[in-house]
Amino acid sequence: MPGIKLFLVGLMQALLVLLVAPLFAGLTRVLRARLHSRKGASIFQDYRDIFKLIKRQEVVPAQASWVFRFTPYVVMATTLLIAMVIPILTLQSPLGMAGDLIAVVYLFALLRFFFAVAGLDSGSGFAGIGASREMVLAILVEPTIILVLFVLALLTGSTDLGAISQKVAFGSISYYRPAVWLGMLAFAVATFIETGKLPFDLAEAEQELQEGPLTEYSGRSLAILKWSLSMKQVVVIALFLAVFFPFGSAAAVSTSSLLVSAAAFLLKVTGFYVIAALMENSSARLIIYKAPEVTWLAFGIALLSFVFYLVNV
Amino acid sequence: MLTQQLLLLSVLLYVAGALASLALNRAGKIANYASGISALAAAGTGMASAVQVLAGGAAFTWEAAGFIPFAKFIIKVDPLSAFMLLVISLLTGATALYSLSYLDEYTGKGAGVMGFFNNLFIASMVLVVISGNAFYFLIFWELMTLASYFLVSFDQEDSEAVKAGFIYLFMAHAGTALIMLAFILFFVYTGTFDFASFRGANLPVFTKSLIFLLAFLGFGAKAGIIPLHIWLPKAHPAAPSNASALMSGVMIKTAIYGILRVSVDFLGASVWWWGFIVLASGAISAVLGVLYALGEHDIKRLLAYHSVENVGIILMGAGAGMIGIAAGQPVLGVLGILAGLYHLLNHAVFKGLLFLGAGSVIYRTHTKHMEELGGLARRMPWTALAFLVGAVAISAIPPLNGFVSEWFTYQSLFIASTSSILAVRVFAPLFVVMLALTGALAAMCFVKAYGVTFGGPCRSGHAREAREVPIPMLAGMAILAISCIILGVGAPVVAPYIGKVASALLAITAVQVSDGLLVFPANSMQAMLSTPLIAILLVGLATLPLLIIGIQGGFQAGRRIDAEPWACGYKYSPRMAYTATAFAQPLRVLFRPVYSLRTTLDGPGYTVASYFKGAVVYIASVESLWERYIYAPLARGTVYLGKKLQAFQIGNVRLYCLYIIITLVVLLLATVR
Repeated sequence: MPGIKLFLVGLMQALLVLLVAPLFAGLTRVLRARLHSRKGASIFQDYRDIFKLIKRQEVVPAQASWVFRFTPYVVMATTLLIAMVIPILTLQSPLGMAGDLIAVVYLFALLRFFFAVAGLDSGSGFAGIGASREMVLAILVEPTIILVLFVLALLTGSTDLGAISQKVAFGSISYYRPAVWLGMLAFAVATFIETGKLPFDLAEAEQELQEGPLTEYSGRSLAILKWSLSMKQVVVIALFLAVFFPFGSAAAVSTSSLLVSAAAFLLKVTGFYVIAALMENSSARLIIYKAPEVTWLAFGIALLSFVFYLVNV
Repeated sequence: MLTQQLLLLSVLLYVAGALASLALNRAGKIANYASGISALAAAGTGMASAVQVLAGGAAFTWEAAGFIPFAKFIIKVDPLSAFMLLVISLLTGATALYSLSYLDEYTGKGAGVMGFFNNLFIASMVLVVISGNAFYFLIFWELMTLASYFLVSFDQEDSEAVKAGFIYLFMAHAGTALIMLAFILFFVYTGTFDFASFRGANLPVFTKSLIFLLAFLGFGAKAGIIPLHIWLPKAHPAAPSNASALMSGVMIKTAIYGILRVSVDFLGASVWWWGFIVLASGAISAVLGVLYALGEHDIKRLLAYHSVENVGIILMGAGAGMIGIAAGQPVLGVLGILAGLYHLLNHAVFKGLLFLGAGSVIYRTHTKHMEELGGLARRMPWTALAFLVGAVAISAIPPLNGFVSEWFTYQSLFIASTSSILAVRVFAPLFVVMLALTGALAAMCFVKAYGVTFGGPCRSGHAREAREVPIPMLAGMAILAISCIILGVGAPVVAPYIGKVASALLAITAVQVSDGLLVFPANSMQAMLSTPLIAILLVGLATLPLLIIGIQGGFQAGRRIDAEPWACGYKYSPRMAYTATAFAQPLRVLFRPVYSLRTTLDGPGYTVASYFKGAVVYIASVESLWERYIYAPLARGTVYLGKKLQAFQIGNVRLYCLYIIITLVVLLLATVR
């Protein structure tokens, strides 16, 4: 039965993201160190941090309720689910029957909702600021994301992410169309913002916000949350890649093709991280009120992409 | 004819409960039980009747001569009426259960009178949606308005409530006048007030459009479409919470019912721009409604503004459906109406739940102001859980019910985007963007509403003294919270039934929208969604981190409860926790033009030294643009006109005689000529 096979592919995707996410977090740190002319810790340091934190005692503020305690698990489960829906290894969406691109966009909202509520629940002022910024950033980026995805869905005739991947990979949706490359540009900006990289590192701003909603987390909860956040970055990038760069992903499910596509995926994500690191380390953090200037620009480009779709060039 | 008898019994129970409650007014608590239990029984029978029709039973009509010669008393229950009956009964059941304890607050303050108006209010809503004659429809419509008016201005000592009641009454009557005009236009052409003869009446296109506009504006005033919404955030919070839940949850839906009845059922939605107007005003109401909600810190006003938002979302679905009918795309027609009706049901459930939750908070803390709450999740854990379910549902987060109906709205807009009508093709994707923006804003608003009210530290003595509410109140909330989950996770079972209602309304064959665990918009190639699968996987995947921790021995380290959050080494105070105002502040700055924000800094002066002498108060008030730029000039204009007209009325009897003579002469000339 093909359904079971695809479901297994979905599980593999979730495991892949789970396993490699701390590596990419490490890569970011190493790249930053190199750009600062420092040596920096090993690329595997994040794995060590996570497994050390898991064994540590957890400290919970007396103000916090059960939402605070459940949030790490909700966040990780949601991220894993998104990783199963997005086409990462195959051109089909392994779990396309569970949801389409709209479901994916709203699953990200699920993750954010609990993350932000937990921030307020902890009673810490820093966590509250982080929570507020997390939601504001989503409001600024969401219109761009949905518009670009919607234009591609219209070109495809389906809101299924797998269908979009396939059409782009097989060239039915051509890169030469301005609607596509403008959409790609807008979506790239949105993806960069969603990964929480430096000029937009607003919610978890390490230096001044004490990591925002993470402030009061410790021990195993912190480990799970940190892990989930690095997974979220990979998943956000995977969504961008699935829609605009699906090349190398397996058209048919077989062991060899899955290995090839896993390698291709890791390579593409590494590419994104390297470019992101260059941008991140050449800029300083924006204040939240300046973020709209960039998001409006991205939305403008997305709108332009829609206009080009309409006139059908 | 069991279905009919159950329905009749349901209405009679409401009326009997109302009268009993009034008679027992002096015996406060017993009056509560009389009205509550009768409403509960009536809701049960009403639901049984509705379910029979929806589950495939035939539509039925019941006629009586009535006592008015030109209008027959007709009860007609078709699938749409039955659906509305189900929505009303479901919410009534939950609120009636809730009110058994909640109305204790009003013992000795006229609890019986309140029960009387409450039951009358529900009965009139039921009669509105099953009425088959325009004349009686208007009578019941008016009854509904008046009964709810008395609930809004029940607390006569509260000047806000009295004022809110007045504005509500005014807007409602302006709306009723327009609806009346629409029905009179029908009467002019058909010579009867029977809905049956309105259906497919042969009218000129211009008249049809005129009727549509009159009905849309008239019902729109009741539904709270922007800019006709100004009464809503004032009136809904003023009523007792069980009545607020009914007003926000179902009363404004009777207006949606009216819009669908007139424009789709009677007029056949034959002109595409009708649907477009409905869709566009829905989109605007959705975005602005939620933006205003974000600016509110009174928990009930916040919820009331969300009703404006959700009515907008319902209308987006309905509008897309109407475009589909006009453009000859029956699939879009069914899907749009399905999306609208599904969201109507969902909103009734989660908004009812949230209002009951807010009512529970007020019941224990006696404050509606969110900044004075906080930390209630530890004191009222079940209320907090129910409110959280409602908050997640209204934020359209999968796998709960709000998401499913919005997903159908997205899918119908997706089909509309491929329409042959250029304006629809251009604007449908932009409405999609507005829907997405609404979703993101709603999520932020409910993070605020839940996080500030239930999370964090207690900000006041009110919050510290709170404890869990009595069982009947919890049970009322539990019914609705479970409904939120069932309507979301059970979408593959629920959607086909609502699809049948939609296709019955359009008089076409049903469209397949589900298969096994999946729902899809008629064509599974376009998209698929499986909320049961999402729910199962979320639960399953959550075990993975637990497993990892378990294997690593993470649970052995245990958990220590720290006294307070970290505060940079200073002594922690609850005042350090983030407030609702602060949480929404970035948005109020980013959307400054929409809010017309006015900030005042109140303190001992602006010199640096003076800042250390006393408290500085920062007030950021969000003012309604609509009131300032539309309603205030309108009111001023009316007063001005009235003053000018006063010149004719100076109290001199001889002058009045002159008026009479002039009138007679004019009439004589007119008839003679």
